[in-house]
Amino acid sequence: MTKNTLRTAEKVPSPTPSQPLTAEARPVQQQQRRNPPIAGELAAIASAQQGDGAAFEILYNMHKRRVYSLCLRMLGNVAEAEDLTQEAFLQLHRKISTFRGDSAFSTWLHRMAVNVVLMHLRKKGLPLVSLEETLEPSQEDGPRKDFGTRDLTLSGSIDRVTLERAVEELPPGYRMVFVLHDVEGYEHNEIAGMLQCSIGNSKSQLHKARMRLRNLLRQNADGKVDA
Amino acid sequence: MTSKQTHTSRDCDEFQRQLPELFDSEQELVAHAHLQSCQNCSALVRDLEYIAAQAKLLLPIHDPSPAVWDNIQHALIRETKDGTKTS
Ligand SMILES: [Zn+2]
Repeated sequence: MTKNTLRTAEKVPSPTPSQPLTAEARPVQQQQRRNPPIAGELAAIASAQQGDGAAFEILYNMHKRRVYSLCLRMLGNVAEAEDLTQEAFLQLHRKISTFRGDSAFSTWLHRMAVNVVLMHLRKKGLPLVSLEETLEPSQEDGPRKDFGTRDLTLSGSIDRVTLERAVEELPPGYRMVFVLHDVEGYEHNEIAGMLQCSIGNSKSQLHKARMRLRNLLRQNADGKVDA
Repeated sequence: MTSKQTHTSRDCDEFQRQLPELFDSEQELVAHAHLQSCQNCSALVRDLEYIAAQAKLLLPIHDPSPAVWDNIQHALIRETKDGTKTS
């Protein structure tokens, strides 16, 4: 269902060449890098706060892609992601007058969208944190000693589209933490608060998500070589 | 056990058990003794760091269908009609 939409990813050029980022890129810098100020945004916010519908539409167009991508990655389902994008912007409309500019507008809006998604999942009674680790410690997530001899590391072998597809294949609980931490740049303490789990739990879920991705990407890389 | 295989799987298990925590402290991770001598775990760490770095490039790719904005507009019209929201 999501596959068709995701294909379009291939046409989008990468904004930054894949460079080895230090693992401790500061979250604040991340937030700024990911949420750079958009020209005309401040004026649009001010007008929208006064009830200007056209200004609200401008804000929608500025931010729809980020909000929708976030929803889609967290939910893995186009229909739900569109519903919740709609819900997030309706909430924005109701609350925009309370925006004071203490944080970047996009940071504020994205947090609102995350909350909309989490509330939706809670209403559905879905566990936000994967239960898999307690139910059945899966072999493939456990420590690995044998890597095969072909190539020792993944570096340089994956592109965004491949990673995007692999992320889709993650179990929902793993995907949630991975998207929040590695894609969106939230910190473990924030995620623990959002998901109502412990910080240790957030760290372990993230680790399992990355381990699972590694296995998926390795299979993928092996498949390419064998094909 | 040959000298090349000084790393028992127990060392690796122990190191990998600590990894979720170690990843939170770059300094502790790179300085970890096990990484100095275990190729497999070094490769693992490089892969996981690489995945995390690539994830940062995943940001905004998807666009919602135009129907989403139509629905928002309709909902807003409904809200202003229903609610006696006058400013
Ligand atoms: Zn090792």
